[in-house]
Amino acid sequence: MIHLSNRWWMVVAALLALGAGAWFAWSKLESSEAIGQPATSLLGLSLPDPDGKELALSQWKGKVLVVNFWATWCAPCREEMPMFTRLQQELGPKGVQFVGIAVDQPDKVRQFASDLGLNYPALIGGYGAMELSKSLGNSIMALPFTVIVDRGGRVAHTQLGPLKEQQLSDIFAKLL
Amino acid sequence: MAQPITSPGSQRKRGRSERSRRGLVALLAISASFGFAGLPQAAGPKLLPAEEAFRLSARALDPGTLEIRYDVADGYYLYRDKLRFAVEPAIAEGVDPQLPAGKVHEDEFFGKTTIYRGPAVIRLPLKGGKPGDKVVLTADSQGCADAGVCYPPQRQTLTVVLPAAGGGAGVPVEAAPRRKSYFN
Repeated sequence: MIHLSNRWWMVVAALLALGAGAWFAWSKLESSEAIGQPATSLLGLSLPDPDGKELALSQWKGKVLVVNFWATWCAPCREEMPMFTRLQQELGPKGVQFVGIAVDQPDKVRQFASDLGLNYPALIGGYGAMELSKSLGNSIMALPFTVIVDRGGRVAHTQLGPLKEQQLSDIFAKLL
Repeated sequence: MAQPITSPGSQRKRGRSERSRRGLVALLAISASFGFAGLPQAAGPKLLPAEEAFRLSARALDPGTLEIRYDVADGYYLYRDKLRFAVEPAIAEGVDPQLPAGKVHEDEFFGKTTIYRGPAVIRLPLKGGKPGDKVVLTADSQGCADAGVCYPPQRQTLTVVLPAAGGGAGVPVEAAPRRKSYFN
């Protein structure tokens, strides 16, 4: 064991901390999907619906896109979905598109979408979808998690936990 | 670490090293703040990751009994009916877990469910466990935060060594911080 004085240990610790800091700063640049950044990874996504039909999120470029990560086993997720359905009905013609990404089994998603009368796509995402949500700000990987993308394809808002209708109205007022 | 014996002139030296030490502390603080500012954070409540909200540990009370413990953080809860336990190898075949009663939770969608808050201690009788056997426990759980989020089902594993009969309970083993989640 090489003997180092207190001061040298401090230097070693500081260099290690600096390295860690630089790595974090770099990883922030790598995960560019923070607010105001292009939602490239999200808009490049193609996921199956409960019947296995692949849908590309890029087809909604130019709209205000609300991507909601959810699951049938998540009560707070289920709670906000009737509001999303109503807003899709009201604001769809003005350029709002809701898309659900379910971290769940296709048959459960199909049943729930049918029971609720869901009027926007419910896609099936696996662990990869959760990892993607993490890069967008869902650091603890919990649900619901919602990302709002503006007409220019940039991330305008990310939300962990339920959205309030007033909050959504304020966001849409800016983006539409 | 041993301090050098003070010699004439070391006073000035100490002054200099004190300054450089202060500089290094500042450097440490700046580096750390880089780290905290690093990850994008969504709007919404500040929440714990699942493995911290639902801390799992286990110990062997004797060769025939595992004690599994979830320490559920304040403001979080676990669903009783989502708990599943399995042990390997088959020689220490797990028998039915003895789950505590829990609290009744009224849910708009799921009706009446039973949940655990605070510590939940579960006993898992083992069949055929021998002193010194290594038992791998796999525990599945799922829970939520009162703030309005739920965590995906999570699977954690930990290894417990069975103690000698009459030798007292083993030391608790905590689940590894890195968790595995499963979906679909």
